[in-house]
Amino acid sequence: MADDPPGGLVLDEDEALELLAYLICAARTQVDEAAEYGPLRLLTAAQRLASAIAPRASDATRRFAEGPLAAWPALAVPREGREDYVARLDELCRTLAAHLTTHFARADS
Amino acid sequence: MTTTGNAVLDAIRSRRVVRAMTDEPVPRADIETVLDAARWAPTAGNRHLQRYVATDDPTTLHLLRMTAPGMVQRPTAAITICTDRALAADFGFPPDSAGLHVDVGTAAATLLLAAHAIGLGAGPVTSFSRAAAAVVLRLPDGWRPELIVCLGYPAPRPPAPMRGRARLTWRDLTVWVP
Repeated sequence: MADDPPGGLVLDEDEALELLAYLICAARTQVDEAAEYGPLRLLTAAQRLASAIAPRASDATRRFAEGPLAAWPALAVPREGREDYVARLDELCRTLAAHLTTHFARADS
Repeated sequence: MTTTGNAVLDAIRSRRVVRAMTDEPVPRADIETVLDAARWAPTAGNRHLQRYVATDDPTTLHLLRMTAPGMVQRPTAAITICTDRALAADFGFPPDSAGLHVDVGTAAATLLLAAHAIGLGAGPVTSFSRAAAAVVLRLPDGWRPELIVCLGYPAPRPPAPMRGRARLTWRDLTVWVP
């Protein structure tokens, strides 16, 4: 899909249901699991969503989905090296925010 | 050390949790070989309170994965270890008895080793909705799904380990007492 203009459906019902199921079941499993798994489950959901929308998303969104987000390793919050984990997550958030700023500035203009 | 002893130890040491699998189907006969091994897993009192639900159906596997946040891999077969809670109650086990979970563990270890022995990759999953899995797998009343063993062929490039950790030796995990 071309980068301009952004918009249009990027997820079909089957893909949305799959993510919905994951999120609801993750809410349940997290009750019993160690808290260190919480960020991992959310990031896995984000990666699955990104994987589903990438083929129909704008070029910039696809670059984010297939780049820094896809590269995030499936790691629980480590007992040692927690600061590094948080720093990497902050960097991912910064990259996301930069993409959002560009994307929505274009969409709102 | 006997040849058999060496083979068993080699299998124990070389087995790994497989978190990325190819889409190559697992032959039904291989799944049955793994299931047959589970029958030999030690159980408390030789009671055999565990039941096994096997599937290689793509739709069932897809549904199972949707409701199992811990299922990172895309298996082409899966064996769900269940506990027959009604049968356990008949033996006098309280619902939260730790012994029932121990038997799930011995069954899982046996399944993982059996899969490894015949060249399959296997990965255990405990992070899944028991309620949803019971529906997806059409479990009889009283059967509680406890652990899913994913089966498939290991992908050429596995993902990074779930947790970076220095290699432990048995000495790190053991204390001697007089």
